[in-house]
Amino acid sequence: MTPVRLRYRIITCTLLTVAAVYFLVPVYWLVVSATKSSGDLFGSFGFWFANPRPIEYLGDVLTYDNGIYVRWFANSLLYAGIGALAATLLSAAAGYALAKFPFPGREGIFNVILAGVLIPGTALALPLYFLFSGFGMSNTYWSVLIPSVVSPFGVYLCRIYAAAAVPDSLLEAARIDGAGEWRIFSGLGLRLMIPALVTVFLFQFVHIWNNYFLPLVMLSDSDLYPIQLGLTSWTGYADRQPELYQYTVGGAFLSVLPLMILMTVLQRYWRTGLTEGSVKA
Amino acid sequence: MRRPTRTEARNARAAAGFLLPFLALFLLCFIAPIVYAIWQSLHKTERTGPLGLGGAEREVFAGLANYAQALADDRFLSGFGRVLLFGAVQIPLMIILATVLALLLESASARWVTFFRSAFFLPYGVPGVIASILWGFLYVPGISPLVKMAQEVGWDVDFLSRGTVLWSIANIVTWQFTGYNMLVLISQLKAVPQELYEAARIDGANARQVALHIKIPLIRPALVLTCVFSIIGTLQLFAEPMVLRPLASSIDSGYTPNLHAYSEAFVGNNQHLAAAEAVLLALVACVLSFGFLRLVGQRGKEDGR
Amino acid sequence: MRTYDTSFPGGARRRSVLGGAAAVAAGFALAGCGDGGDDKKAAPKERKEGQKVTLTFWSWVPGIDKPVDLWNSKHPEVQVKVEKVSAVNGAQYAKMHAAIKAGNPPDLAQIEFPVVPSFLLDNGLLDLTTVGGERYKGKFVGWQWQQSVFGKGVYAVPQASGPMGLFVRQDLFDKWDIEPPATWDEYEAAARKIRKKGAWIETFAPTNGNRFAGYAWQAGAKWYAAEGDSWTVAIDDEPTRKVADYWEALVKQKLVKTIPDRQNAWYKDLQTGAIPAWLGASWGDALLVGNAPGTKGKWRAVPLPQWTKGANAQANWGGSTTAVFAGATYPKDALDFAVWLNTDPEAIKLLIEGGYGFPSAKTGYETSDLDVHKDFFGGQAYSEVFRKAGDHVDTSWQWGPGVDTLYQRLGDAFTEALSSGESFRSVLKKVQAQTVSDLKGKGLKVESGG
Repeated sequence: MTPVRLRYRIITCTLLTVAAVYFLVPVYWLVVSATKSSGDLFGSFGFWFANPRPIEYLGDVLTYDNGIYVRWFANSLLYAGIGALAATLLSAAAGYALAKFPFPGREGIFNVILAGVLIPGTALALPLYFLFSGFGMSNTYWSVLIPSVVSPFGVYLCRIYAAAAVPDSLLEAARIDGAGEWRIFSGLGLRLMIPALVTVFLFQFVHIWNNYFLPLVMLSDSDLYPIQLGLTSWTGYADRQPELYQYTVGGAFLSVLPLMILMTVLQRYWRTGLTEGSVKA
Repeated sequence: MRRPTRTEARNARAAAGFLLPFLALFLLCFIAPIVYAIWQSLHKTERTGPLGLGGAEREVFAGLANYAQALADDRFLSGFGRVLLFGAVQIPLMIILATVLALLLESASARWVTFFRSAFFLPYGVPGVIASILWGFLYVPGISPLVKMAQEVGWDVDFLSRGTVLWSIANIVTWQFTGYNMLVLISQLKAVPQELYEAARIDGANARQVALHIKIPLIRPALVLTCVFSIIGTLQLFAEPMVLRPLASSIDSGYTPNLHAYSEAFVGNNQHLAAAEAVLLALVACVLSFGFLRLVGQRGKEDGR
Repeated sequence: MRTYDTSFPGGARRRSVLGGAAAVAAGFALAGCGDGGDDKKAAPKERKEGQKVTLTFWSWVPGIDKPVDLWNSKHPEVQVKVEKVSAVNGAQYAKMHAAIKAGNPPDLAQIEFPVVPSFLLDNGLLDLTTVGGERYKGKFVGWQWQQSVFGKGVYAVPQASGPMGLFVRQDLFDKWDIEPPATWDEYEAAARKIRKKGAWIETFAPTNGNRFAGYAWQAGAKWYAAEGDSWTVAIDDEPTRKVADYWEALVKQKLVKTIPDRQNAWYKDLQTGAIPAWLGASWGDALLVGNAPGTKGKWRAVPLPQWTKGANAQANWGGSTTAVFAGATYPKDALDFAVWLNTDPEAIKLLIEGGYGFPSAKTGYETSDLDVHKDFFGGQAYSEVFRKAGDHVDTSWQWGPGVDTLYQRLGDAFTEALSSGESFRSVLKKVQAQTVSDLKGKGLKVESGG
């Protein structure tokens, strides 16, 4: 190895390590703090253990209030899992249509969908609540699921990807063979769009999992809460019931864990599809 | 072109079938609430009856009064100033950091690439509300191990003072999203044919030159995309200041425009003013993101055709 | 788009405050998407003998399930379902307002004293006198019952109050040779001494409007008054100015911290003794026990410092009611539950265990029942201090509409004053003007008092 290359390698690795420390320190803090009582949370040095009792404390998190935490966790999985799946399929169909079927008003529709990204979610939540209340659907699973399946960004991504990855000639050939549009889409289009679909799914999954505001406004029954909302509702009462601080931190740790694993394992898929759109953007 | 061809008719029918499910829900969950918010922003509540209690409550047309009130509110306007300042500093920093990390990871000199990439990306899996609670513990003097360590080397730092808290929020956002943006850039780098690099190398370009003159121009579209999303995200800044507010007396209820609108709607129960503020916010986001796209050239306009 | 109208005939019937006007409906529909209202909340009904009904009850307090379970086991025909709403940053009230507007509020909810009037504004609460609620007046401490009386109507059943007092670290006060202060002058002197020892007596939390209101209440302020058909707002009145001047002086002399209270940094200071005292309220015991467990046995409670030596002026911080919403389908049963929850000895016992604070009921418990954390206070019967305080709370204090907004305005203004060095009097002046215009903005008749 030449000295120049060695120097490059040392510099590169040093910089990467410094960055890794920055990104991992708060995570390390979370791991350490999940083993602490409320008293130690405020009273002991944050980067080191103090009377660690991880099993007991995390057990408390899981069993507190008749195991409501587990229920929140399941709710979050339900909202994010089903929501993201439905969002992916809807976006795929819409993106495919926008990419492959020229029709009057197509660009107009596309631009309106894109503009949807610009509206702050906080502004939509209350009107949505009134709307769903009108149908008697507030405070139900549907009230969180239905708005979650609409992903303008997903449509954008699917359109760009379909335009590039689904060749017109292939569609024409299928049509000549007499296949119906639906069959062409479900048999051919979807398959060709898989990388983009995985990305849309992951993107929407994280988006729903992290969403705090919509469930806050829609739900009043804590049995329906997703995990973020549940955890923050604990902090809201923690000054009267201080062990809730420790439950919040422990619960945050437990909730972050699976998502972090998921992120790391599925990185490959993020990479593949994520910027197919931006290649052209 | 006299008669609509069979293909055209067929296209329209098929497109409608694929689009309708999404459009119906889009109408329900985006357009209808937006229309309602706009409607609300043009109305106000009028009460009658003694003490205002128990009398009739009516919504009456208010014209642009709510907008005038929002624009006359110093705190609302200074919130805009604050997020603009925030964006002008934080977005370039974050994008540069993401670009540097992406280039380093994709360079031949890097080792343990998978580990580093995972480490950088990990914070994206921490929801904003949780991330803010977490960083809150790392900011509060007396509890924060960071402050303690700083004090031990004689640096009396206060992350939550009036002057610093905006940058403490910027740090949370940077921590959360750098890894995500980095991944976007990496995937674009991967899309660049390897031969291009090889060719440059044979021509005698060193790693830095390849990065600056070949890679960065090639990932420009991805950079534009991440910038636009960052601009929108910055204008809508909300969860971080909301969670940090109880910890820091330096954050008031109108710290960012979005927080201001939220406070009006949720604490003040004044949805009309809040709606007007949200509409203004969306307008500014619109102007800025399209302005940015125009600024970086026509490429943004040509996409998706 | 269709014409939009919130008032429609045939909706829920409600009595207005002064018993006059016909009811307004709470129904609501999105413009263009509905038919002017949601009619599913029918007019209040009488439950038939033997009919089974379920009432929903919104609360955010973890321990509430226990008394509710007890009720459910005793009243198979009237089942109560608790829904725990998130109470972060006042979100629970935002939800209630939204639910009222959407026409589907719960039957009952927990609502804190200061917030009750805000709900009258959107006709959210049932006037309990329409179902004979006034007959329960005698069961509750007078001033607390009075907190929910507006005009001739009664709008909530009081649950608990939070008489204020001063918590001190007796061990540190002894060590530093400081007597727990009996007057505000002595308090300032104590603050000075404590500062010399390197600690701080207290924090003036700029965003804690609730406690500031308590200080003003004790000093004899009357921020709101309802007279005739208009509200009088007097935040910038003489007693409040006295309080503001006092704390401004402490802040300017750097005798108190200005960090937020009941937050991470403050808990840490409690644990380490960096803050050895707290101007708190009766419910504060659980808070100290949980967040500063290492200081067990070292705390004592003493009465609030007085403005004049030997006086006995007290104040209240916190406290809740159980309110019945105007949309309740079976208002009589809802009222029965609300009264039972807050007067039945067994229910009260469970509420005390849940840390709800000082019961509003006159009977059904002993003061000593509240001494749940006696050991923490070195064996002191500390609840007696708060009981006595509760007997001397100025009962004429009244809350008005929009107190949440007021707190927010106060917090913002104090925050700004702390950084700009502006006087606290100018804060009062500013907030007074803002509050008057806020209430006018809500379509109310307002006069500026003070």
